Amino acid sequence: MSPDLSRRVFVKAGALSLVSLGFDPLFLGRTAYAQRVPARSPGSKTLVCLFQRGAVDGLSMVVPYADDWYYRERRRIVVPRPGSAPDAALDLDGRFGLHPRLAALKPLWDAGQLAIVDAVGSPDPSRSHFDAQDFMETGTPGDRATRDGWLNRCLAHDLEHRDTPFRGVAMGPQLPRALQGTAPALAIGDLQAFGIRAPEPARDRLTAAFEALWSGTETGIVANTAAESFEAIRQLRAANPSQYRPADGVAYPLGPLGRALLQVAQLVKADLGAEILFVDVGGWDTHVNQGNGANGQLAARLDDFGQALAAFARDLGERMADVVVLTMSEFGRTIHENGDAGTDHGHATAMFVLGGPVRGGRVLGPWPGLAPEQRYEGRDLAVTTDFRDLFGEVAARHLGIAQLDVIFPGYALTADRFPGVLA
Amino acid sequence: MRTPLLPLLVALAACAHHGPAALAPLSLPREGMAFPAADSADAVHLLDRFAFGARPGEIAHVQEVGIRGWLEEQLNPSRVDDAAGDGALQPYRLAFRDPADLYADYAPAPPAARADTAARQRQMQGTRELAGAVMMSALARHIESRRQLLEVMTDFWTNHFNVFMAKGADRWLTADFVERAIRPYALGRFEDLLVATATHPAMLVYLDNAQSVAPGSHPPAGRPAIAMMPRPGFAPMLPPRPAPAARAEAGLNENYARELMELHTLGVDGGYTQQDVIEVARILTGWGIAQPRRMGVGRFAFEFHAWAHDYGPKTVLGVEFPAGHGMEEGRTLLHLLAEDPATARHLSHQLCARFVADTPPDGCVDAAVAAWQRTDGDIRAVLVAIAASPDFWAPENRAAKFKPPLAFVASAVRALDGAPDTTARLVGALQQLGEPLFMHLTPDGYPDAGADWLNSGAILTRMNLALALASARMPGVVVDLDRLSPVTSDYDQLVRNVNATVLGNQGTEHTLQVIRQQIGDMPNAVNARAMAVGLALGSPDFQRQ
Repeated sequence: MSPDLSRRVFVKAGALSLVSLGFDPLFLGRTAYAQRVPARSPGSKTLVCLFQRGAVDGLSMVVPYADDWYYRERRRIVVPRPGSAPDAALDLDGRFGLHPRLAALKPLWDAGQLAIVDAVGSPDPSRSHFDAQDFMETGTPGDRATRDGWLNRCLAHDLEHRDTPFRGVAMGPQLPRALQGTAPALAIGDLQAFGIRAPEPARDRLTAAFEALWSGTETGIVANTAAESFEAIRQLRAANPSQYRPADGVAYPLGPLGRALLQVAQLVKADLGAEILFVDVGGWDTHVNQGNGANGQLAARLDDFGQALAAFARDLGERMADVVVLTMSEFGRTIHENGDAGTDHGHATAMFVLGGPVRGGRVLGPWPGLAPEQRYEGRDLAVTTDFRDLFGEVAARHLGIAQLDVIFPGYALTADRFPGVLA
Repeated sequence: MRTPLLPLLVALAACAHHGPAALAPLSLPREGMAFPAADSADAVHLLDRFAFGARPGEIAHVQEVGIRGWLEEQLNPSRVDDAAGDGALQPYRLAFRDPADLYADYAPAPPAARADTAARQRQMQGTRELAGAVMMSALARHIESRRQLLEVMTDFWTNHFNVFMAKGADRWLTADFVERAIRPYALGRFEDLLVATATHPAMLVYLDNAQSVAPGSHPPAGRPAIAMMPRPGFAPMLPPRPAPAARAEAGLNENYARELMELHTLGVDGGYTQQDVIEVARILTGWGIAQPRRMGVGRFAFEFHAWAHDYGPKTVLGVEFPAGHGMEEGRTLLHLLAEDPATARHLSHQLCARFVADTPPDGCVDAAVAAWQRTDGDIRAVLVAIAASPDFWAPENRAAKFKPPLAFVASAVRALDGAPDTTARLVGALQQLGEPLFMHLTPDGYPDAGADWLNSGAILTRMNLALALASARMPGVVVDLDRLSPVTSDYDQLVRNVNATVLGNQGTEHTLQVIRQQIGDMPNAVNARAMAVGLALGSPDFQRQ
């Protein structure tokens, strides 16, 4: 039994009625595709979003070692100053250091492909995982009425490429809130197992039979979801992404994240038109025995995280020129360690932006400080960069989306708010 | 010198696990309830929502006893003979051994002994067997029990009071949690259910309350009361064993306090603040667990640790909790939360979302709230109000919900009159659909609204499972298609049979037509039957309830 570390998406019962079978105006606009494989123009951009479900402790990921309060508030779970101990932080810029178990990312930092935005988060005060994840995925903090996700709105902005079912793909059994909405998006647990499983020629026959069954009087999202599935089956069989083995010498870490990023790389290399890819990674809700620079559950999660991202970047090689990886987490954790050598739900955290187009090697975003009077509600790292400023910059400068007010409705976002992760 | 531990423990054990009062007999009035006459479509709708779908013969049974009669039967589960459910449980009784014994027999070996590869493999095998038995102890009864409404509500509350089986001692405690904290109260009073879950070690472990102590408090000398048990395995979910120094300095943990209000009772809009969360956490300090001191000595149990309790004054939702009170103020708090109108509305909304529509109509929610408030949260009264609500029977709410993974698997096996094969392989189907039982990491439980399964991967997985089941290749299930739908070369008759057995005679014309077309040229009548059954189970019609 492998634990399915399901994401924590909380769909309020009142907010969505996607199975009202065709009576839902939002989804009436959703149509099946023309049946042609898209020619993907060279230089098309890909965004990979990696959601750290459970609220990662940004202060351990990117250690503000120059801030004395970090060492005053934490003792058992502290990451030492660079050079001061065997498992000390890896210096980045004289102020911040990477958690030592993220060492695999250091070469990317040194090469200028990795930027960090610190003290980033939501203006909404919620410390509920469900609400905060929901807000980060809908892109409308504080507004529970939003039905679709910000990544889905990114997919909907430009219909030129809409004839590929792979434009938006979540690696996993379920579609995250961020990708739900009018634009088609796929959830794929395993590329190789995607489709009707039967030996040939029964497989073709069964696939056709089910396609006929689902293309009947059924309307709305159910029918369209089924239509997407069958189109995706056809295209996957033609492109056969699993023929793409990792580049020489690249080994993804064993585990769900490594497996998911390997498949993301295969999808990108197969030129199926993947524009927005989404991966969930859990295990960050470290209330108890979080651990320090050397050991503990957070160190183990970060080790896996860093190695998987580094393997992905090496595997894609030159193709990283068109790829941006954006990591996110619903909020950060308390500055003060709790009674169980862990941390509780906090406010701001840190996010990574990785890829060829990134102006890396910099920790961006104003640092609010950890002193008591500098904290949010007297206890947590304050947010100095609204997550929409970062997401919006990636949407605008990487995906070329001009109308940010569609992506983040109700938020006046202009370029001067961008943290500056992309040229 | 305070030494109130032992007497409190005894008192609490009695209070927490004296077991539920047996459900009083409940009769529904013969007149004045707006139930339809129970044609076959009504019966199908009722069985889709108040049961895990129809088994062969059950539609006829509902029509015979009527909607009112069937509900009355199901609301008095002790009146329903359940040899079937008991029998289904037998292969999985391992799950119900005392948690301390499970710990003694299944806990991983200490690090020093791990070099022994064979022993390690035996241990891992044992862990898998146990996890399979725990999952099947629920799934087998969902499929086979005749007390279907009890099963549906057990599932509902298990999901509502979610625990994660892979966290620490919950490996040994999850089946006990469902059996002793959920199932006995699933049709009882909400407050009893709330208290039972709040005091069960599985919840205290899962949401960390067992580790929450008043800041500055220390366990009495010689009494390392928390996190003592070696907790290896399941990395990286499990924190390493804390060093002795780490244990000396413990403090408040808000995790349970927050979810208690946000998820279990008031709802996220229930009007509480961050300060309320802290105050609730303070009130619940000391609500901990006893656990085996070493292999074979001691049991898991709720235990109030007076030394860990914050005896200062608190205020929750504007209600003052004066200084100087111990365990009992936690009980007062649970009563306060259980009787809060926000709780009635939050739970009524969730129940109506489950039973009526993903976006529940106001009329039905109002009826449920009224029943809740009239009866102080009597779950049976709320269910009756929902079933009697015109919204439940409204045409637009029939076949309008997409079956969640558990409902799909259970109803598919039930439709074919199948049964688990005494192994735990059937849990693999839920795994593939993304919702393995007791493996939802976060406390919100699996979502109920259809949007969450409605994606391409999920639909294809259902088609594959449908085909496997129809061709008797589904691992872990025994089905006898010959009994259900004898082989016939009269394919029109075959389609009628399949419509009757799998689709409760509710198949759409399109679905029946496609099935008929697809089998038309199949020379082998056995293959044609498998194809027809597989397509029916994988059709859009069968995904709805």
